[in-house]
Amino acid sequence: MDQRPVSAAPQKGPPSWKLAPPHDTLTQGMVVSGFATLPTGRSLFLQFCWDKAPKKGGGAWLAALQAIAPISDADGREARAAGLGFTWEGLRKMGLNANTLASFDRPFKEGMFQEDRLRRLGDRREGKWLGTVIEGGPKWSGNTPLDNAAVDSEARAFDDEEKVVEEHIVTPITVHALLLLYEKDEESAEAWCRAVGDALAPHNVKIVHDLPLDLRPDERGIAREHFGFADGVSQPAPFEPGVVTVKGGADYPQDPWNGVPLGEVLMGHVNGHHEVALGPVVIDTPEGRAAGLPAHARGEGFLDLGLDGSYMVVRELKQNVAAFWKSMGEAAERINKRDPEHSGHIDAHWLATRVIGRDLDGNLLCPVNPTGVLPVDKYNQPDNDFLFYDRDRLGLGCPLGSHVRRGNPRDGLAPKPSDKQTLLDAANNHRILRRGRKYGPTIADPQTDDGKDRGLLFICLNTDITRQFEFVQQTWMLNPNFAFLYDETDPLLGPRGMLTIPEKPLRRIIEVDTFVQMAGGEYFFLPSMPAIRYLASL
Amino acid sequence: MRQTTLSVALEVKPESYDHLSSLLDRLRNRRSTDPSGGEGPFADFLTRVPALHFMSLSVFPGFDYDPLFVIEANFDGARGPFWAQLESAIGPDLRLMLRCCKRPLDNDGPLFDSIVAANARAPIAPYLERRALTPTVYHHGNRGMTRDRILAEHALFEATRVELRCANVDGPNPYRVLSPSQIHAKLRAALLPGFGWLDHSAPKRIPLADNIADWARLIGFVIAAVFALSIPGLILSLIMPTDRYFILLAVAFLGFAAMLGKIGVALPGTGVATRFSFLKLFFQQLLPLVLFVLGYLVIAVAIGTPISMLFTARSFDAAWHGMITWLLWGLACVPVTVAGIVFWLRVLERGDASQDAPPVDPKMLREMARREDWIPQNHMGSIVLIKPGILRMILIRAGHLGLGLVLRIVARQGYLGSMRTIHFAHWAMVNNKSRLMFFSNFDQTWESYLDDFIEKAHAGLTLAWCCGVGFPPTRFLVKDGASHGRQFKEWARHSMSVSRFWYSAYKNLTAEQIERNFRIAIGLRKRTLSDKDAALWINDL
Repeated sequence: MDQRPVSAAPQKGPPSWKLAPPHDTLTQGMVVSGFATLPTGRSLFLQFCWDKAPKKGGGAWLAALQAIAPISDADGREARAAGLGFTWEGLRKMGLNANTLASFDRPFKEGMFQEDRLRRLGDRREGKWLGTVIEGGPKWSGNTPLDNAAVDSEARAFDDEEKVVEEHIVTPITVHALLLLYEKDEESAEAWCRAVGDALAPHNVKIVHDLPLDLRPDERGIAREHFGFADGVSQPAPFEPGVVTVKGGADYPQDPWNGVPLGEVLMGHVNGHHEVALGPVVIDTPEGRAAGLPAHARGEGFLDLGLDGSYMVVRELKQNVAAFWKSMGEAAERINKRDPEHSGHIDAHWLATRVIGRDLDGNLLCPVNPTGVLPVDKYNQPDNDFLFYDRDRLGLGCPLGSHVRRGNPRDGLAPKPSDKQTLLDAANNHRILRRGRKYGPTIADPQTDDGKDRGLLFICLNTDITRQFEFVQQTWMLNPNFAFLYDETDPLLGPRGMLTIPEKPLRRIIEVDTFVQMAGGEYFFLPSMPAIRYLASL
Repeated sequence: MRQTTLSVALEVKPESYDHLSSLLDRLRNRRSTDPSGGEGPFADFLTRVPALHFMSLSVFPGFDYDPLFVIEANFDGARGPFWAQLESAIGPDLRLMLRCCKRPLDNDGPLFDSIVAANARAPIAPYLERRALTPTVYHHGNRGMTRDRILAEHALFEATRVELRCANVDGPNPYRVLSPSQIHAKLRAALLPGFGWLDHSAPKRIPLADNIADWARLIGFVIAAVFALSIPGLILSLIMPTDRYFILLAVAFLGFAAMLGKIGVALPGTGVATRFSFLKLFFQQLLPLVLFVLGYLVIAVAIGTPISMLFTARSFDAAWHGMITWLLWGLACVPVTVAGIVFWLRVLERGDASQDAPPVDPKMLREMARREDWIPQNHMGSIVLIKPGILRMILIRAGHLGLGLVLRIVARQGYLGSMRTIHFAHWAMVNNKSRLMFFSNFDQTWESYLDDFIEKAHAGLTLAWCCGVGFPPTRFLVKDGASHGRQFKEWARHSMSVSRFWYSAYKNLTAEQIERNFRIAIGLRKRTLSDKDAALWINDL
């Protein structure tokens, strides 16, 4: 696995997965593709500016949108592409039935900014926003209303309990839907945005916030995030016989390193816990049937609103590039001063790669290879078919607490060799399909803060938000005891703290600052194509 | 030193359920501003109950029974001193809580009256001791580590970090130019003044007597089980001619096997592929099994021969020979008895009603969420109804007893399968043994804890919990079951109550970190280490 030869004639890339009919026309295109051929675009955060949920007509704006920006399905490449997700409150405002709203998963119904959830996600504690959130608190969220569980208002004889009042956390901007537009160049994207804005304005749908969606690949075709590292290198590879295929129609094989059942990404399919991933339902109506919603497998008299849909987690993460490189520089300086004899190899760049766990081009740090990184694969891409236990159990190459290792520990947490496969399988039950892109201009000098707003619009797809996104954030990224470490969190996403870098004979511990701050976030429902048609018919 | 895990479950007057809940909340609020407990005002708890590792006070709402107030405690040493310490710390609070409980209708009634009467001053410790339950299974993640030792070794760990970071703080770090053994020596020299106990040898975590007792209990259990399983054979071989007896065994075995082959497969939609295999387990355990059977023969012959001589007046040779033959004939029946029990079990399992969507009260869930994930540890308490029937009753009792004894041997390092995230966990039966209670003090989140079980230890967990009413469909006590991820999690949540008062004596330490501190301390207790040993030891620093 290590010494995979570099192919003499590099091919374009490994075969990518696609969905077989009919799922290809039922699923939004952004599930199967990151639209690499459309390097620019916009994310438009929409607010429905009407007061009460209407009985009829709440989907009219969506029908208008479909005329100017039809949501892309997954059956092939398009000249430009669009994706669409809804917050719970957005769906309510469109007039979706209360019972249907109740049929969604708990995290979606409660919203990302539910008090206890924010604590688990490392954003807010005891009424205060933490340092990993922008000054003054996040700008936007779904502003999901408090649910019935928030206050126990039920009267009972003999009840003298003090009622806890849950705080309703509100952001200045309310987002009801997120429209993602992908285009080939800036001018077209700008023109398209204007056209969309014009089409939505008569329906009282406002664009309340927008961010560019940039890939901006360098001359070698590598899309880098603002700190300079290749982004989106490792992705889960869904499989399901007869549904996930390669070009030509053969089943996409189960990838031994990154394979996940399709139900981890799409509702209505079997997931990693041997169950069909749950989705919302609507009562059987002619409109639902006409939109193409299938009958629900278990609920008699109901249609499946979830099949081939997903949940989309979105977090706007502001990056402070100068602070990152300054912090790396200071840490390197301190090491050089404290260890003049043995730290000649350590500089800001060396430390930055330890924070990430990969080099700038996305190759995994590796203790046994003389180059210090894993050789590229046969497609001349960073090798993603690797495990940790056998090669780098102690993290001498890729530190145990580095960003990539926390993001996906693979088999690295196995206590003994016989547990490797179990731990790899377990880790693959907590994968997310990332679809994020960066926003903001590339910094001219990474050492100097230019005061411009830049960062990553983190977007990921999963069907079980608790077991996937929240698990990754809480149990891996921000877990102070991840991989037997103590009192340190993810050096990139976490608050100011420490990072242990294993070395012989003695580990180094550096101090890292806060470089990434959340500026807004919410959980969205990413509907299937029939579900979009149904919502438009409301 | 030995750790004790126990619980006291007391029925609550339904009218006092809410009041008791608020008493627990108030106790928590008074003790600490941090909802998880710990620092600040909790410090006095730390000093006044020095034996205590983890403790919870919770009240389970009544659906099938009246509400239940449960005190769960995990502490060092014997029960007596602990109850006395606890009473001195929160005695008046506990007395108020006990007043919310029902008067026991058995002989403990007068004792209860004496402690809950208006202006009662009688100590409550004797009552709690009388009502304490012994766990059917328990597990300790850091066995043999007393609370004070855990705290002391963590202070040592913190001191190593300070020393390594701050030595010669304005110039080059002296540790950076040393070999591993020199690092060890220098660090030890630097820490010794503050940690004099490094010069003493470490107390044994599992004393010899405990070790022998663990093994003796397990051996006793297996031998008793073998004897019990051979009883049908022992009886039949006495009343039937030998050839007919063996024909019966063969026919019965083949019959059970054939029927099991038919009904052994998973019911449609409930099967989950697993790496667990009975055959693999059988061959892995074949040698110990053979040894146990030989041990059984030796002991049974030693006991049986003189008895046989006494009653039949046979010579020693004849009695000895007759006894071993009889026992062997009895053993021949064990596979048939096992097959018969498994067949019976499988019939029951196929008829079991599992709950596909256990109802979870959103308000209760929110109350739980409000108290979870403040510190790296969390707590859960759950009560489930036990499935009816005599075979179930026997299997739960024998299964829990056996599982508990096995854990004392195989889980000494704290690992359950590949996971070491539990500090203290136990099962106990309540309400006249009709309900099964489970408590756990674990690391990380509830979700990750349950996922660990689903993904890494589903067989063991299914074995211990599949006797619960509504548990996901199970095959042969260990297969499928907890592998049904969401269904199992909802079932577990459904059975839980809010951990209203929960105390941890070392809230930032995971079970792994306690072991890491232990390894560091063990190394530092040694005056010298070879370069090779030191290099390994340094990985933990």
